[in-house]
Amino acid sequence: MNGAENRVGRKTEITNLLANLPRLGVGLAYREPFREELLQKQSEVDFLEIAADDYLDATPALEAELELLAEHFTIVPHFMKLSLGSAEGLDEAYLKKVAALVKWLNPPWWSEHIGFTRAGGVTLTHPAPLPFTKDAVAVMKRNIITARRAIPTPLILENVCSQLVWPGTEMDESDFLNEVLGVGGCGLLLDVTNLFANAPSFGGDPAAFLARLPLDRVVQIHFSGGHESKGRFVDSRGQAVPEGVWQLLELAVAQAPVRSICLERDDNLPPLGEVLWELERARAIGRQHRRWN
Amino acid sequence: MELVQQQKLVARLCTNREFREEFFAQPAQVAAREGLTVGAEGLAELHPEHLRQFVRLLRTRRLGSMGVALPLTRRVLGNRFVECFKLYALRPTPPGVGRVVEDAIGFVDFLRGQMGSEVLDPPWSLSLARYEAARLEAVWLGRRLVVRWLPHRIGPLLAQLAKGKVEAGNFDRPTLAIWWRGTGRGQPRHWLL
Repeated sequence: MNGAENRVGRKTEITNLLANLPRLGVGLAYREPFREELLQKQSEVDFLEIAADDYLDATPALEAELELLAEHFTIVPHFMKLSLGSAEGLDEAYLKKVAALVKWLNPPWWSEHIGFTRAGGVTLTHPAPLPFTKDAVAVMKRNIITARRAIPTPLILENVCSQLVWPGTEMDESDFLNEVLGVGGCGLLLDVTNLFANAPSFGGDPAAFLARLPLDRVVQIHFSGGHESKGRFVDSRGQAVPEGVWQLLELAVAQAPVRSICLERDDNLPPLGEVLWELERARAIGRQHRRWN
Repeated sequence: MELVQQQKLVARLCTNREFREEFFAQPAQVAAREGLTVGAEGLAELHPEHLRQFVRLLRTRRLGSMGVALPLTRRVLGNRFVECFKLYALRPTPPGVGRVVEDAIGFVDFLRGQMGSEVLDPPWSLSLARYEAARLEAVWLGRRLVVRWLPHRIGPLLAQLAKGKVEAGNFDRPTLAIWWRGTGRGQPRHWLL
């Protein structure tokens, strides 16, 4: 078999692997102030995504809270600080804690980022992008293999779309993502709001950028609102979802075999009722494109 | 190995404003001083505005998490919360800064130590912030006993906030807030006296 056939074979294998993942529907990034209302309105939220780093070393009270949530919802753990892009390697102790939490939750998949949050003793509060280089691909591959050995549950990776572009790029983002996602059959977690916010960095056309991504790997989509600041859209997750993001979400759902869509809301948390209609609208988009019933 | 050094440098640039300014004044020299050899020239081409935008994104995410951890304080202080947070975020991020909850407790300590109740409006908002931070300690950090003496009437404030809005009134009576956990699991018991 030549190299091209190998690549096709590997891609088919990965696509099949991802196709077997369940269709979760539309969920919400869990925030503690939503707790009481969520328990009352379970039927309107298909799953919860948790900021999983905050539940490592959980106190008994938090473990009990997580147990309660897991009784009522499918929980998808979303990590930020395992730092799969760290060239200094994974923190083995942290990985063990991540593995223990994922095993306990038994989710359909878990997620991290194609970026790094840890370097030289400094922890970033949001993943920084990697240079699109062979070295960075090698780092991601090494760390993904280590993580996949510790955690057999399917892994999906969120791309970090940012204006921060490293000098010395050796490939375009699409090739970079394909190389990274090929390791261990990882799926893609696509943040359409992030894409919308960073449109100016790729010529102002997020749809064109979307078309260059490996959309057959998209398992989950993140979407959220934001605000305008100095003529730029900032994906602060603090306001309602703007129309441009809805359009991009629909475009992505139409093209990608998504299994789930998740709304992220951080700042200015409104009562849950005010965000449920956004979940319903996303659910309708998925239904329209036959991603779920 | 070069990527290890580059990431260290970028992480410092993202979290330390003084270092960032020094770097962009003399990028090649600072990169070389930090141990970068092969990649120094490349990193010297980092676009200052792109990096600053990323730093702003980090701050926005941190602010968002802070708003989730301290929802009532965020609501009551509104834009003042954002202004105070920006001042707090000017300080270099401590290496290995932990979870959101620890950051939020640090922010309330900052409000208490650096800002003080006299610059916060309404005057009881600092008591509310301290109350929310104490709750985080009890629930998220698992302290067996957390006790706070707060100079305002927290109970009526919480009740009015639950209804959506705090009506004008006198909240100047002190409150003793207590969280206590036995050996069992579950939420700690809580009293406002």
